[in-house]
Amino acid sequence: MEAVLRMPRQFAIRLRTSPLLLSLALAPMLVILVMVVALVWISFQTGVVGTPKATYTLKNYTDILGDPFVLKVVWNTLIFTLATTFTALALGLPIAWLTERTTLPGKGLVYTIMTLGLLIPGIYTAMGWTFIAHVRIGFLNRWLMDVFALEQGPINIATPVGMGLVQGLNLTALAFILTAQMFRAMNPSLEEAAKIHGMSFVGTVRRITLPLAFPAILAAMIYMLTIGLATFDVPAIIGLGNRIYMLSTYVYLKANPPDSGLPQHGVTAALGTVMILLALLLTWWYSQVLRQGHRYEVVTGKGYRPALLDLGRWSVLAWGLIALYFLATKLIPLLLIAYAAFTPYLAPPSWEMLGKLSLAGFYNLNWDLFWRGLYNTVLLVITVPLITLLLAFSISWLIVRSRSRMRYVLEFGAFLPHALPEVIMAIGALLLALFVLPKFIPLYGSVWLIAIVYVISRLAFATRALNSSLLQIHKELEEAAYTAGLSPVRTSWRILVPLLRPTLMSVWIWSAILVYRELTVAVFLISQESVTLPAVIWSYWFSGAINEAAAVTLLMTVVLTPLILVFWWFGRRQLMPES
Amino acid sequence: MPWLLRPCRFPKRRCIGGSLVLSSANAVGAMISIRKLCKAFSVTEGQIAALKSLDLDVAEGEFFVIVGASGSGKTTLLRCVAGLESPDSGEIRIAGRAVYSDNPPTWIAPQERNFGMVFQSYAVWPHLTVFENVALPLREGAQKIPRTEVSSRVREALRMVQLDEQKDRSATLLSGGQQQRVALARAIAVNPRVLLMDEPLSNLDARLREEVRGKIRDLAKQLGATVLYVTHDQIEAMAMADKIAIMSFGRLLQYGDPMELYRRPNCSEVADFFGSVNWLDGRLAGAKIVETKIGKLEVCLRGDLGGPEVLVGFRPECLQIVDGSNACRQNAFGAVLRSSTFLGDQFVYEAFVNDLLVTGKSRLIPVCEDRRLQLYVDPAEIMVFPHSESKDRILMGTASLKKGLE
Repeated sequence: MEAVLRMPRQFAIRLRTSPLLLSLALAPMLVILVMVVALVWISFQTGVVGTPKATYTLKNYTDILGDPFVLKVVWNTLIFTLATTFTALALGLPIAWLTERTTLPGKGLVYTIMTLGLLIPGIYTAMGWTFIAHVRIGFLNRWLMDVFALEQGPINIATPVGMGLVQGLNLTALAFILTAQMFRAMNPSLEEAAKIHGMSFVGTVRRITLPLAFPAILAAMIYMLTIGLATFDVPAIIGLGNRIYMLSTYVYLKANPPDSGLPQHGVTAALGTVMILLALLLTWWYSQVLRQGHRYEVVTGKGYRPALLDLGRWSVLAWGLIALYFLATKLIPLLLIAYAAFTPYLAPPSWEMLGKLSLAGFYNLNWDLFWRGLYNTVLLVITVPLITLLLAFSISWLIVRSRSRMRYVLEFGAFLPHALPEVIMAIGALLLALFVLPKFIPLYGSVWLIAIVYVISRLAFATRALNSSLLQIHKELEEAAYTAGLSPVRTSWRILVPLLRPTLMSVWIWSAILVYRELTVAVFLISQESVTLPAVIWSYWFSGAINEAAAVTLLMTVVLTPLILVFWWFGRRQLMPES
Repeated sequence: MPWLLRPCRFPKRRCIGGSLVLSSANAVGAMISIRKLCKAFSVTEGQIAALKSLDLDVAEGEFFVIVGASGSGKTTLLRCVAGLESPDSGEIRIAGRAVYSDNPPTWIAPQERNFGMVFQSYAVWPHLTVFENVALPLREGAQKIPRTEVSSRVREALRMVQLDEQKDRSATLLSGGQQQRVALARAIAVNPRVLLMDEPLSNLDARLREEVRGKIRDLAKQLGATVLYVTHDQIEAMAMADKIAIMSFGRLLQYGDPMELYRRPNCSEVADFFGSVNWLDGRLAGAKIVETKIGKLEVCLRGDLGGPEVLVGFRPECLQIVDGSNACRQNAFGAVLRSSTFLGDQFVYEAFVNDLLVTGKSRLIPVCEDRRLQLYVDPAEIMVFPHSESKDRILMGTASLKKGLE
């Protein structure tokens, strides 16, 4: 039909920043905003919170500030977070340096190990280390008690320091990737200049390398602190059963009190608000440090190769460190979980125990629960990455391509989920579903509530990955399609999607893996109906059925392995610097 | 072949309906007609006006080149015509039919304008083969081309750019010149009403550029296409254009055929853009006489100069080396040679005329006794502009033009 489109001017302008696209991009930000507002709103209420009958008060805040137990929890969290950060950097930084700046052989293998480190869920390490070093059941403790005739196990993993060590092992891969980038980008001519002007190796490291590396190391440190502050899975697996609480697990306890007590949602919300403030503060600091770091960035050409330090025989030692990391973090925990899955009761591995191995743990499983968990998990793994990609694509396109002023809002909005730890989003979603939404949308107890939180919490990463890929696609490739008569939707499908395919694939599979193994949000939001596989593990573990928990974990790994292989196939070229 | 050689008009279906009346009412034979077009970009420092109430007409079948330094708004103009930018106000008509207008508000999306466009980066889709690159717009574009016709049209277009043998190669494996031809084939395959080209040759090396610019012009003429071509290279513009428009800071300085712009520029900026000029301050001293530092010059005056203070200029190649016997002739003056450079086809030399340095080009060897030369300028070759355009302003303008070019 021959139609000259005649429309109001404003509409014509808006058409070019498509309203559909914009609403897709803004929807998740709106959800975050509503979640945070609900959280803060309820934190000032007592009585029947979330209803008109609630009284507005500061009592929740004075309660938590005046409670010595809360102080203890904060102290625990602090110790835990510092131990986490220290362990992760103490392992990750040297390995990064060895890989990027020395003649260490087998660098590809280091990257493989570290990517595996990112992919294998943290709860595996936590469970494995409980088997190793729990004060009563830990195999290492039992062995030490036998050898030295001790009354009690000498090592206790269920302490803030112990848990920090385990979480630190989990985050080592992340610390490695954050700092390896920095070592790679560092301009070698700065160090060479120092050498030529007569400085010794040690002097160069002390006066040039470290000061240059400092902003990146500090940034990595703050990043670890932010994650550590809100870590839920490791403190939950190791600490909850032993009554050692962190902020995250304490919040969980307030929202899901044991012994059929009443949930204290006001206090939960107040704790959540405090955590938001802490997280925002750390994120702000992080961005400041990053900005500082950019000053040191020296533009490097393509063909340079940093001068590598000849390790010689020391490379054996270096590989020893890496192997130790891999054994301690991944391999031994995984083997112990497999072992525990086949044992009738928990005892250190021995010849005698080998004879007792059986499939009993699997027979005892509540298979109905397992299948429901698997069904929900598969549902999430299929839907969440797709929705994430769709939203992230809309946001990225608007940020990178449009000249609309909305893009600044979008950039900030896409960053928000990055600043808010998953625990907080879980609480926010919980309160939202309990007190705000029920009248409109009954989401509480539904798997879709979990899906929404998953999508939002993966969005920051997906958007960032797509932003950088989209920036590399020349704008004119798209414009050529428009002028050649292709509609925007066809242009996206025929030009952008094929060109972005490597990034889309790796973001997709990466989100799928993270969704598959996610515990924190699931634990806060599950119901009988919406239980996920990691939550099944958690509920067995929490109720003391450790062998069953190990059995489910093993089954879960069977499904996880092909997913990781797929990731390998598509995404190994782009390492994902986020857990 | 027949579809390609069809004159580029509206497809038949477009001629039934109201727009025909519209186009005949506006019948000036203009394929592209731009009226009072304004476009500003907002940057952090405020607004930058890229187009300032610009008017332009391009006749059907014309090869129209827009030149200007970068930042002059020429690419913005092209993108507005293509529909990749939305203007702030004004009107753009294609064959009489508005594709953009502020009153009544009209907007036709780029994919419905039926243009072909060659981009500076070529924008050859790297995930497709040569054949697929040309075929995609035909298969999925706004024009519904019968499936059976697609393949023959693609082959025809590729043949015209001599790429038919490469059709199954991946586009990324092609050289720059070949990619450029793929882009061209893609643009002509849709049988567009208008071909838009945004500095299509700027990424080719100099030798190839000279070869290709002739081919593009021939192809456009063969197809009878109306071409709007943007470049910053004045040689390219003069070699290819039927008409040239020169833009500066969002305005059209002048437009006309290449010779007119070169020989009869309407301001010093245009004169500077198309080649170097020796500029002199002068003062009118009679009907055809201007007094300058190098003596009295006879000139041909056109139009009002607004006052006795004028700016006089002549191009280096207009300086003739004459023998001393003509010393008393009007417009001849003595000079002292400072330096000369042999460039093969000519000499470029600098000479002092009463402390003033002038540049000349000559096929004769500028050597003589005592380094003394006798120079002559034809009155018809001397450009005279009002002095309100003071030399400083021109130099600044030139500097910014030149800066843009680098």
